[in-house]
Amino acid sequence: MLKLSRIAVTVGALLALSPALFSPAMAAKPEVDKLSPTVVRDLHFGDALFYYYQGQDFEAITRLQAYRQWGRMPHHDAETDLLLGGLYLSLGLHNEAGERFETLLTQSVPEGVRNRAWFYLGKIWYARGYLDRSERAIKEVQGRLTPDLEAERLHLLSNILMRQQRFDEAIALLNNWKGRRDQSDWLAYAQYNLGVALVRKGLVTEADPFLTSVGTLESGRRELRSLRDRANLALGYAYLQNNQPALAKPPLERVRLDGPFSNKALLGVGWADAAEGEFQQALTPWMELRDRNLLDSAVQEAYLAIPYAFAKLNANAQAAENYELAIRSFDTETVNLDASIAEIDDGTMLDKLLQRDANDRVGWFWQLKEVPDAAQSRYLYHLLAGHDFQEGLKNYRDLAFMGSTLSRWQDSIVAFDDMLDTRERAYAERVPQADAVLASGRLDKYGAERATAGGQLDQVEAAQDVAALGTVAERDQWARIVRLEAALLAAPNDDETNVIREKTRLAKGVLYWRLAESFKARVWNERRTLKDLDQALREAQNRWVRVQKARGSMPNNTGQFAERVEALRLRLEASQTRLAGVAKQQNSLLESLARNELEQQKERIGTYQIQARFALASIYDRAAIGGGSVTAPKEGATESQGDLEVVPPEGAPTDPPATEPAPGETPPEPPK
Amino acid sequence: MPQLKTFRSIWMALALAMAILALPVFAQDPQATPPAEEAPPADASAPTDAVTGEPPADTRALDETVQDLKKDVVDLNKELFVLEEELLFPANTQVAVFVSMDIGEFFALDSLTLKIDNKEVANYMYTPREAEALLKGGVHRVYLGNLKVGEHQLVAFFAGKGPNDRDYKRGANLKFEKGVGAKYLELKITDRQRKAQPEFAIKDWE
Repeated sequence: MLKLSRIAVTVGALLALSPALFSPAMAAKPEVDKLSPTVVRDLHFGDALFYYYQGQDFEAITRLQAYRQWGRMPHHDAETDLLLGGLYLSLGLHNEAGERFETLLTQSVPEGVRNRAWFYLGKIWYARGYLDRSERAIKEVQGRLTPDLEAERLHLLSNILMRQQRFDEAIALLNNWKGRRDQSDWLAYAQYNLGVALVRKGLVTEADPFLTSVGTLESGRRELRSLRDRANLALGYAYLQNNQPALAKPPLERVRLDGPFSNKALLGVGWADAAEGEFQQALTPWMELRDRNLLDSAVQEAYLAIPYAFAKLNANAQAAENYELAIRSFDTETVNLDASIAEIDDGTMLDKLLQRDANDRVGWFWQLKEVPDAAQSRYLYHLLAGHDFQEGLKNYRDLAFMGSTLSRWQDSIVAFDDMLDTRERAYAERVPQADAVLASGRLDKYGAERATAGGQLDQVEAAQDVAALGTVAERDQWARIVRLEAALLAAPNDDETNVIREKTRLAKGVLYWRLAESFKARVWNERRTLKDLDQALREAQNRWVRVQKARGSMPNNTGQFAERVEALRLRLEASQTRLAGVAKQQNSLLESLARNELEQQKERIGTYQIQARFALASIYDRAAIGGGSVTAPKEGATESQGDLEVVPPEGAPTDPPATEPAPGETPPEPPK
Repeated sequence: MPQLKTFRSIWMALALAMAILALPVFAQDPQATPPAEEAPPADASAPTDAVTGEPPADTRALDETVQDLKKDVVDLNKELFVLEEELLFPANTQVAVFVSMDIGEFFALDSLTLKIDNKEVANYMYTPREAEALLKGGVHRVYLGNLKVGEHQLVAFFAGKGPNDRDYKRGANLKFEKGVGAKYLELKITDRQRKAQPEFAIKDWE
């Protein structure tokens, strides 16, 4: 058994669901919720894990599927399913993953494991925007999770409810939640969400304590500072909306001046002052805004708000001057926006976006980390950070990766074809030789000869024919003695012949003695030689059978491979065509999202521009009618003259200040 | 009443701002968090339909198409992988050599050289990411080849950092019998706690 890090089955489930969750320490520490710990018992399962741990999900999924098909992971069936489910999720195959989990997560899986799996499944569905499915998955969780996961589950559910406008349910849920002392981060998020839900229900006063609590918390952490700003901004705007400008100012003034929400806060503070008739005071935050990036809608609005305030202060000269400045700035931005729209229309936006990302791994968890320095990027920061766009971009990137993988296979398919051709040629060359050998029956002949030799040895041994196993010289000597003996039989019986007879007998005796002495050893040697021969014959027999089999299966084997190669080639080509088509659709969708975003920005600027022009005309008209000139505001003037009002043209909507987080703003980190 | 109109437009803007602003915050795992979690649910351009809780139809249709296509490509890739291995490394001649690591306290693997029957068949340098994957429990199939039936010898040379971060080179060898079926061999790097040294062994998986 292979001793590796102990991978609990549940860890398989969890690592399948979220790579960040798995760590060796976690694997080594047994938990009640886990299935009984197991070790990697099949090398091939470990091999798939090797790629999984490197984040090469596509490779891992391929290997798991292939090894399973070959039956190489008999000991890891359950883990394989869980891991595959997670890998499908990672590749964005949510339907497939969902189906697998729903089939897998039966009563046979420990409740803790099942709960976590449902929880992560719900989380994924939520992120994909499938709120109903997410809610169903979350509600499959039975009992309680660990405190942190339980807190996260509650927040996930409250978010689902709020995104579905089910504020009463969200409020009830959040009100009932009792976090632990060490869950202060989660508490802050819960309070924020509760405050927002109450505001959305129109209960601003009830929301105040929750949002104020979050808005005044002290923290050095970026996420919590950001949450604090958001809470203050939400409360401030809620009061503004509720016609309570005095109450709006304190929370708005708590928003950091260098944070991503400062533009909106400055605009709001100005509006709060304006609502109280403090136009001179309102100019301070608005003038600060004017020096900021005009791409921000709050800044754009400030360009109009400043001359509006000047007009209210009866400073018509400054009002006119600032309206002209606004018109010029809006003009420039419109030209830039048109140029960016034209760049999108040339169809290379996505490739430019992905150009910098050298990491070629696929996966649903991938995010665009760096925005390219393209002309349109600065207008698209908000869009690029958007959920829809990121999802589409991931898909586009995955499709591109898969396209390149299939291209590599296309090269291999050509090589497979060549290989099969070569095999067929080699086969054609060798077949006649093989057929000749097979037809010769040589193996049978050798077998028969072996049998004869064995029989002879048996006879020699039985007859104790010592001369039969002598050396060539000895056998020759023995034969000569035998011949001499035969000749001496017919010779006369005289002294001379008897001497020869005696010598022959003596020589025969000496030779026989020598042969008889080594007879046993020679028989043993012969037997051993026969044994070796038997082994060689058996090996030859095996090879013979293999050759026969190969001879019989080769045409089928090669033919089957050729058919498979051909079928896969067709599938490859079809998939590549589909990939190109779908990537194009994805590209079009993303480009249209980008184009819409820019068009909306352009439209908003256009609206502001019309308002500015109208107001400017109005100022000059009044100056002309009154026969006077536009003059500088009087110091401390607070009374509106009532005759230089800025009136938006009928039907021209005033766009909301964009209150989304600033570009590049990272979503809040979860409490650890 | 022009002034009222202006303020009405401002309040309209604020009301719309509220719709966008008052978003649920959801703290998520950074890896699993789409970057724009704050995407407004009540906004017209939001990804979800607040009533059905599902993404807009055109996005959903494309998403389904993309998922189907990805699934097809994943399956196709598997088929090609299977074909390649069956074609190049038939089961009756296949030999695979795997590398596994235990805790890695006494040895950090940098590279590995393999010789079969005195012929170098693999020379592999490990990236930190790969070494990390081994430590987490992954098993690397470092060599896949073909061998005839009969007796063979595998020699492995490991190089890396040993105890006290010193350069460390060790070898291991094994004579093995290749039968008719596939042969799997495992190079095991384990920690020998008592000696505070790494141990290198080759296991023949029958």
